[in-house]
Amino acid sequence: MRQITYIVTRFDGVKSFTQTYTFPHQPGKTLLWGLITIKETLDSSLAFTAACRAAVCGACAIRVNGQAFLACETPLDGILDRFGDTLTIEPLQNFPVIRDLVVNWEPKAERLAAANTWLKPQDNFSAKEGCKQSVADFKKITPQINCILCGACASECSKLSANSDDFLEPFTYSKVWKFVADSRDKDAAARVKAIVDKGLWKCLHCVECVTKCPKGLAPGEDIARLRQMSIKMGYTDNPGARHAKAFLQDIEDTGRLNETKLSLRTIGMIGSIGKLPFALRLLRRGKLNPLHAPSKVKGHEQIKAILKAVRESEQ
Amino acid sequence: MKYAFFPGCVLEGAAKENYIATTAVAKALGIELVEIPGWTCCGASHVQDVDDLAATAINARNIALAEQMNMPLLTVCNTCTLMLRKAKAKLDGGQKEKINGILAKADLQYQGTSEITHLLWVLLKDYGLDKLQAAVKRPLKGLKVAGYYGCHILRPPALMDFEDFANPQSLEKLIASLGGQPVEFGHRLKCCGFHATYTAEPDMIAITGQTNQSAVEAGADCMVTPCPLCQMSLDMNQPEGQAAVNCHQEMPVLHLAQLVGLALGLSPEQLGINRHIAGREVIQAKIK
Repeated sequence: MRQITYIVTRFDGVKSFTQTYTFPHQPGKTLLWGLITIKETLDSSLAFTAACRAAVCGACAIRVNGQAFLACETPLDGILDRFGDTLTIEPLQNFPVIRDLVVNWEPKAERLAAANTWLKPQDNFSAKEGCKQSVADFKKITPQINCILCGACASECSKLSANSDDFLEPFTYSKVWKFVADSRDKDAAARVKAIVDKGLWKCLHCVECVTKCPKGLAPGEDIARLRQMSIKMGYTDNPGARHAKAFLQDIEDTGRLNETKLSLRTIGMIGSIGKLPFALRLLRRGKLNPLHAPSKVKGHEQIKAILKAVRESEQ
Repeated sequence: MKYAFFPGCVLEGAAKENYIATTAVAKALGIELVEIPGWTCCGASHVQDVDDLAATAINARNIALAEQMNMPLLTVCNTCTLMLRKAKAKLDGGQKEKINGILAKADLQYQGTSEITHLLWVLLKDYGLDKLQAAVKRPLKGLKVAGYYGCHILRPPALMDFEDFANPQSLEKLIASLGGQPVEFGHRLKCCGFHATYTAEPDMIAITGQTNQSAVEAGADCMVTPCPLCQMSLDMNQPEGQAAVNCHQEMPVLHLAQLVGLALGLSPEQLGINRHIAGREVIQAKIK
């Protein structure tokens, strides 16, 4: 009979270890079914969280072969087709582990709350009348409303793995955008202003969050929306905004990137001097040519006309 | 086999060796690359942060130029591929009329007739690994190669649907068809941090060090990547990366076309490997 193996990373509060569980395959089951089977038939001490079994509560996200999945909604057979009949099962990354596959949400919840992620209703609303919203306005924020706080995006976020001190969980940026875009909220401007200094420009663009979200959110794109809004509001005196604007400026000026000027424009003269050893290294290998400046591409006037039409259509 | 070639900005600058290698390999394999006259920067995953519509419109122009050539558009950079495919998905998903209104100001029109593809996909799907294997003149026998995919050739899967994002195999298959030995390593699907070079520099440096260390510990002789941005980040920052993780073994990082070129019998110089920062001698010693 076909056997399935889960190699589970466990934690007893002091030490981490792996334990291997093998059980008979059954077709048409989920990843979570495997964990429940282990707990019910092989080892009642295995700890994991799960509740609704319907991709609503967000409790059962785990990592399988190094990728986050929501255990209750992920068909096991599809996973076995991808990875074979032996799977490595780990708790989410970037969370403190309490025991086995159970992670501690408390620090994440505190960071989420610190970003003021609740509705600040407009003054014309009242307890009696409620906070009404048109269907069209509701639809604008439906994707972000679908977040179930499963933590898959935070687990896979490359920036959080590198350093979480100057960046928030991807779901937090999606929530902040949701309130910025919510027609009932009165605090959009203050929210954007606050988020600029909370890592808004530190995202690495790895698209892990968009890829791993089981509910179809795109936190990386919400980060882009917040960035656009911050630039419109004039928060451009930072390396991230200067860097992004430099690319658009180069497209408008010649069509192509001017690598030589990029550092100066993004981090200024002082910052660029700090990168001198790096620049000299590139010069030595012919990778940097300070004299090279792109000339205007063929059809440059087309680009001018296109960007002019883009700006006109946005007014 | 004929493609409208979209080199991308870095192939004119810091990653010029990838232009040299790509054109040399295409010539050797009989793949005709016709550079798109007047192509522009794809927006580099940054322009949408300023103006999303501008990012779509400039790439609609890039695609429209390829359509005029009546050829599929071929890229050699993950991020260019993503930006162009994202624009195409938006155009095909309902924005065509609006964007064509904008392109009309430049006497251009997007029709949707040119696919956006990447050299890696072309070698696997259009050219075929059997044919590639038959073209190998210097099998990379005994060369242990760690395939590093880079983010934007896999993610998001809605746009980059060539293979399974969670367990891709195209690089490993390609390495094996060149006679090399694919090496599994922990960082093969991770991010190099390139796009945050200026905004999260310490993170990018640490990631560079960890990635190279991961390849060293897996016993790789070199890494190969289909993305010149990953290559630049992992190669050009290697001295700082090594210091960050205290692992000082040099790890050569090859562009995809360079690895193919070595197997086709081209010399490291013909492939611009002399322009690399790390591990030039390692490649020289391994390729005989």
